[in-house]
Amino acid sequence: MDTLAALGHGFLVALTPYNLLWSAIGVTVGTAVGVLPGIGPALTVALLLPVTYGLEPTSAFIMFAGIYYGAMYGGSTTSILLNAPGESGSIVTAIDGHAMARQGRGAQALATAAIGSFIAGTIATAALTFVAPLMVKLALLFGPAEYFALMVLALTTVTAVLGSSLARGLASLFLGLALGLVGIDMQTGQARLAFGVPELLDGIDTVVVAVGLFAVGETLYVASRHRFETEEIYALKGSKWMSREDWGRSWKPWLRGTLLGFPIGTLPAGGSEIPTFLSYLVEKRLAKKPEEFGKGAIEAVAGPEAANNASAAGVLAPLLSLGLPTSATAAIMLAAFQQYGLQPGPTLFDNNPELVWGMIASLYIGNVLLLVLNLPLVGFWVKLLLIPRPWLYAGILVFSSLGAYTLNNNVIDLVILWVIGLLGFGMRVLNVPVAPCVVGLILGPLAEQQFRRALAISQGDPSVFLTHPISAALLIIAALLVIGPMILRHRSNGAGKNDSASPSGTHPAT
Amino acid sequence: MVGAVAAPTGPQKTVWEDEAMTTGRSMRAGEAVLGGGLIALGGLIAVETMLTPSVGRAVVGPALFPYLISGGLVLVGLSLLREAFAGAVAHAEGLELDLWAVALVAAGLAVQFLLLDTLGWIPSTTILFAAVSRAFGGRRLLVNLAIGLALAAFTFVAFNYGLGLNLPEGSIVERLTSPDAE
Repeated sequence: MDTLAALGHGFLVALTPYNLLWSAIGVTVGTAVGVLPGIGPALTVALLLPVTYGLEPTSAFIMFAGIYYGAMYGGSTTSILLNAPGESGSIVTAIDGHAMARQGRGAQALATAAIGSFIAGTIATAALTFVAPLMVKLALLFGPAEYFALMVLALTTVTAVLGSSLARGLASLFLGLALGLVGIDMQTGQARLAFGVPELLDGIDTVVVAVGLFAVGETLYVASRHRFETEEIYALKGSKWMSREDWGRSWKPWLRGTLLGFPIGTLPAGGSEIPTFLSYLVEKRLAKKPEEFGKGAIEAVAGPEAANNASAAGVLAPLLSLGLPTSATAAIMLAAFQQYGLQPGPTLFDNNPELVWGMIASLYIGNVLLLVLNLPLVGFWVKLLLIPRPWLYAGILVFSSLGAYTLNNNVIDLVILWVIGLLGFGMRVLNVPVAPCVVGLILGPLAEQQFRRALAISQGDPSVFLTHPISAALLIIAALLVIGPMILRHRSNGAGKNDSASPSGTHPAT
Repeated sequence: MVGAVAAPTGPQKTVWEDEAMTTGRSMRAGEAVLGGGLIALGGLIAVETMLTPSVGRAVVGPALFPYLISGGLVLVGLSLLREAFAGAVAHAEGLELDLWAVALVAAGLAVQFLLLDTLGWIPSTTILFAAVSRAFGGRRLLVNLAIGLALAAFTFVAFNYGLGLNLPEGSIVERLTSPDAE
């Protein structure tokens, strides 16, 4: 009952004309930027941060919610029509979605993605409404030791799940952790690794690193490759509507995708990659014509797209109630909260109910707006795909440097952006995933803080992490996630070598 | 049924055609450089932490995590080195990279941050836009400069006056517009 009252109050906040306007602007620019090739949800949110600086927090986060969902919708358009998934959650959509576009069924693929995203987003937002307060209750049982173990688990899953080799994932993670060390130590006030540069005392900003890796690194990579790759965009032709058969084949995958996406999204399991992949496998197993999969089966677009959006809502549950980011996009949202001096967690629900519930309510509203934006107006977004590449990427870098500079009005951030961008290019060429770096950068200092608090409480006895049952269980799961695949790999090494490096050039940055 | 709409990035005639191919061997070298770089970074963090005098009386001081992370960096660096020489690397069959374009984009960004405080947002961003456009094969320099100028001016006005941010107008411009400031 409390939850419904709080949600109702949130709707009162979100439905004021002023906030409704920001929600509408958020979903529109979120879709517009998300549609652009090479820009996934994480980068969309990072690039649009400066737009919200002038707003008070509640309106800013209502706009953010719109940007976040809008970027998810926009990303599916790019993967279907251009076969250029902007993030790992859209890879699966791109397979059959692009095949449908090649057969002239692009409009149907976009429709099933949009309607599936709407249904999944709405159900998952409803689930978020009820799960988040439960998680807050859970969070109240957590002490520093449990928080530390939870963060270790999140860092491990992001690293172990993504990428082709554990060593490369760990390389990215430790780079992020190292970058997170820079600046003043939160507990003693001692400067670490600042090398006498005053601008480094505040630390290296997550947003600068995310934009450097996702935008600058990616642009450098595309610049190096674009002469050797041709892209095909397929125009939307014929009927824009889904046939009876399309509906019949789509609605069950939508619901199943939602069922997979939301719970996995709430776990610290690396966001949307696993649920989209599982949804694809489930639909293939259950399909009447599994042979169509890979060649343009509508189920293979409907299910994963629903799973993708449902997990996007799921990711918000640990982010809002525990302050735990489980994907690169969530890491940037957490950075945005910190920018406003807010720390997500139980206290946020107590102290800023307007903000939290206004934001959750605006997710429902944003979903409705997005359905309108993406079904009748999809032809308009498709036009954005036609922006000449030289101007598109030049524009991306203009907005990247704008975002990095306006964080602190300081040129040092642009130098850091440049260095991180070159690093990102190298990582991209060597197939090193970049998401662990971003998540490590923001979670590393938080994990250290909890670790030191836990030891301060236990008066230096390090066994607290193993004597507290929740903490011990979380740490054991984390250890299994690292060691398990290692053992499996060693066993299968005799059978076949060379299983890791994937040759694909169209892999997204996440 | 299928209509392929003009793909805007066709292959272009280029004068720097021959230096593009990166072989599997240089991919291995690249991975070795990354591994070595991580080891060096780990060493740097350890040395810097050792040289920093410790303050505070906490049970766990500010030095523990830097040591742990530097240890992790060294271990991961070693395992990357092992992969580089004996294991599987990405694109082992080689990857074509147009490094000239990469250098041009990087130079554009460097020019922007070097000139930003003196020339201001609009000129330095115009140069960035033109450099990146050229790297992506846009050959009409004047058109690119014009679009870059328009975008730089638009963002300057929109963000400074509309959203209250502080994109620099440049120390030269400031001196010209207020000569009696000094």
